[in-house]
Amino acid sequence: MPSKENEPIQLLQGTLDLIVLRTLVSMGSQHAYQIASRLEHVSGNLLSLNQGTLYPALVRLEQYGWIKGTWGKTENNREAKYYAITRTGQKALGEETQRWRRMSGLVEKLLVEEL
Amino acid sequence: MKDLRRIFLRFLSLFTNSSTEAELDREIAAHLQLLEDDFLGQGMTPKEARRAARRAYGGVEQAKQLHRDERAFQGLATIVMDIRYTLRHLRKSPGFTLTAILMLAFGIGATTAVFSIVEGVLLRPLPFADPDRLVILGDDLVGSHWTQPTVTPPDVRNYMRDTHSFLHLGGYQRIGRELAGVGDPVHIYATRMSGEIFSALATDPLMGRWFTQQEDDQHQTVVVLSYTMWRNRFHGDEKILGTKILLDRQPYLVIGIMPRDFEFPLVPGHLNSSELWIPLSLRPEEFTAGYAASWNFRMAGRLKPSVTPAQAQRDAQLVAEETMRNYPGFMRSLRIQSQVKLLHEDTVTQARPLVHTLLIAVVTVLLIACANLAGLLLVRSIRRRREIAVRLALGASTGMLLRQALVESLALSIAGGLVGLVFATACIRIGISLLPETLPRIREITLDWPVVGFALALAILIGLVCGLAPAFAAIRTSVNDTLKEGGRTGTAGSGHGRLRSALVIAEIAVALVLLTASGLLLRSFEKMRQIDPGFRVDHTLTAYYVLPKERYATQFGIDNVTNDLLRSLRQLPGVKAAGITSSRPGSGNNGGIAITVEGVVPRKDAELNMATVSLLQGDPFQALGIRLLRGRVFTESDKADSQLVAIVNRKLTEHYWPGENPLGKRLRRGMPETPTPWLTVVGVVDDVKLGSADGETAEQFYQPVTQQVISEGAFAPAGELTGTYGCIVLHTETPPEQLENPFVAAARKIDPQLPLVDMQTMESVISESEAPRLFNTVLISSFAIIALLLAVLGIYSVIAFSVALREQELAIRMALGCQRTGVLHLVLTSAVKLGAVGCLLGLLTSTAVSHLLRTFLFGVSPFDPLVLTLSAVAMLSFALAASALPAMRAAKINPIIALRGD
Repeated sequence: MPSKENEPIQLLQGTLDLIVLRTLVSMGSQHAYQIASRLEHVSGNLLSLNQGTLYPALVRLEQYGWIKGTWGKTENNREAKYYAITRTGQKALGEETQRWRRMSGLVEKLLVEEL
Repeated sequence: MKDLRRIFLRFLSLFTNSSTEAELDREIAAHLQLLEDDFLGQGMTPKEARRAARRAYGGVEQAKQLHRDERAFQGLATIVMDIRYTLRHLRKSPGFTLTAILMLAFGIGATTAVFSIVEGVLLRPLPFADPDRLVILGDDLVGSHWTQPTVTPPDVRNYMRDTHSFLHLGGYQRIGRELAGVGDPVHIYATRMSGEIFSALATDPLMGRWFTQQEDDQHQTVVVLSYTMWRNRFHGDEKILGTKILLDRQPYLVIGIMPRDFEFPLVPGHLNSSELWIPLSLRPEEFTAGYAASWNFRMAGRLKPSVTPAQAQRDAQLVAEETMRNYPGFMRSLRIQSQVKLLHEDTVTQARPLVHTLLIAVVTVLLIACANLAGLLLVRSIRRRREIAVRLALGASTGMLLRQALVESLALSIAGGLVGLVFATACIRIGISLLPETLPRIREITLDWPVVGFALALAILIGLVCGLAPAFAAIRTSVNDTLKEGGRTGTAGSGHGRLRSALVIAEIAVALVLLTASGLLLRSFEKMRQIDPGFRVDHTLTAYYVLPKERYATQFGIDNVTNDLLRSLRQLPGVKAAGITSSRPGSGNNGGIAITVEGVVPRKDAELNMATVSLLQGDPFQALGIRLLRGRVFTESDKADSQLVAIVNRKLTEHYWPGENPLGKRLRRGMPETPTPWLTVVGVVDDVKLGSADGETAEQFYQPVTQQVISEGAFAPAGELTGTYGCIVLHTETPPEQLENPFVAAARKIDPQLPLVDMQTMESVISESEAPRLFNTVLISSFAIIALLLAVLGIYSVIAFSVALREQELAIRMALGCQRTGVLHLVLTSAVKLGAVGCLLGLLTSTAVSHLLRTFLFGVSPFDPLVLTLSAVAMLSFALAASALPAMRAAKINPIIALRGD
């Protein structure tokens, strides 16, 4: 029986956007597969993520104007769509990170008080 | 910001669906390929690698759906799909689509154009603040038949002083003035008015200020310019304020400029009727005998809050009673009744019948267009019965089919509406140039947004109404029956057939109503042209002149200049006769004055005896070609101190002296109690149409201008000058246009500053007087033609369709031995039946609505048998012609092919 520690966690609304943006900032432009692999790697397979579920987040971010996709070639000469963060995206990431910090700080505080 | 951008993009994505989908497919394929490559690299077999890649990716279709939900508003997507589907369908049948759209465009375009005009004339408020409180005040002189309530100078004073119902009230009079001091001297139209009127209208000046009632009372010579005058004559120079201009060679101080929209008085027949405004400043002599009995002024005011026009009228009537009590002896038989009515009403009264007729014509055309569209949609839904049955069988919901039918008709009607708007814009342009100027505020008529809204609302309404009926017909389709029936067999339900026939009959009926209306108007126009106006129309040139008072202050000076003018005009080569008359025929009747005829004792409370007087100099009868029936014309020897003489027209003679010799009879100006001298009749001339040829003939008399003052007796104001204005008339040998320049040159030689106003040949005067009737006729006729075209189209489509439906039946008939002529006969008979019933209904409707048309007819009964018969015959032949083509096609059916077809 798997312990609770290893059970995949559900993503909170909006967190996926933040994670994708963050990934693009630290790794440069990436295609969907790279982003998905990175997520799996960082979370140590804690995130239950079919790679296809990344797509809505990508289209949403693109419509916000935060990321931009362009077709390119991989090292193995396969075609792939590379996403890069835009200037407004970087600004938005700053704001979103702030908000996340405040939010998690608040939740943390509440949890501590309850104990 | 980012949300706005996203909403826009999600909306846009509805329309870029196919390219986005392709892009998504490509991206997913690439993603899977990369996964597969990695798994291959881990040593899997290609088959295993592919499966692992799929597993890692998750459901491809689910991912796609998530993507779609994220990128676009999916609720809207089905509607977009419906629209796409509809457009694809419509593109596939361009004939149907084009017919439907053009037909609606016709209907909606005409409707919108006319609605714009109605808007501009009837519905648009007056260009003043709070216009519902603005009223016109005037007297109705009992027995005079004057159309507009007018007042005298003492009335202006009395009403302003003694009424209590008005916040502001003032008098005004339109006048002509010579304007000098800027460029060439010109004759302009101006308005004398009380300072109170500016306060009543409450329109702020563009620059400067109005004059006040106080300035008016103090006879200050100040002037307020209209915007047009300021722009055109003074080039929009702001420094004009504070300078002086010369009006009738008297200096006036410019104190203000009114804004562009300001127009007062709003006179039917004139745009910018007043180019400037000066204080009314009634002169002392205007309260003396002659002026006191001349109703040449009008009054306007603003009601006090909570006072109704009726209350104000009662209030004014009290003042009128007092005025009448103070009438001098020679006016004591005159009775006046005060009239108070809304300014708005006063302005649009004349245009109302025309606007109503237009509305009816337009509604008719629109009804026909709707009937046609409904017919077309019905036919289409029947044609598509099989397709609908198949879709129903495959599980399409009725709601979806209904929605699609509605979307289709809405798409058609909106497209029709848009094309119609373009059509309307063109129509309004043309319409304004054709419209008689008697329509008030015609300049303001443009296609504006409320009108566009109206057109689109109309389009949508038509779409809903015309779409619903066929849509319900479509979903009632019984799947089994239709599919079992096979192809185009038999009749498609008698209910549909009856509905179609009813639509066509209604179309024919209303089209016939318009056709007869147009026929009656055409005959009226022809009748009007046949009327003998009583004067020569060709080879006649006319122009008005006005002598400014400052320069021509004595009667001697005036007589000299007019004699010189007439003499030099007679010497011009090509001039046969020259004369001056105070009223130009064909230009409108100015109302007339009261007269007393010797030996004719008016009954108590009888109406006033009215006649129109014209004052003559030179040889106007010869110049105008007015026929002398008896006696003589005026000569040089009819002077102020010789016997007072008059020439009367035939109508006046027949009224007062029927069957007697009028020569030597006597009449005089004014009422029996008025002390005026008798005039002896020395001649009788034929009747002359003073206004348009379809107008009433007035009782007329003519006097030599030299005898005017004496004949006015007690009415004559002290120091009155006569012959200060008139209309010069020339009879020419050559075409009259050639004499225009010599005419002006001759006048300039006598007084270089004398302006000649409104120089026109008699032909153009006449065509101007005919313009309003011509306009009505052209307008109604063009509606009739549109209606006819639409009805013919309707008949054609119905007959053609029923022939197509009956192809098999007809083929069987032919196979069984029916001749081709028999088939032809069969089809034509059905068309004639529809046509006959439609015509019968149309004739009945025509008689029912005849009272609407009666006011527009001239010399023709609304039941004129010739017109009614001709219209009905024309309608029937058009119906036959429309069905001839499908009938011939039916006769050419090859029974073998037709029967094998299914």
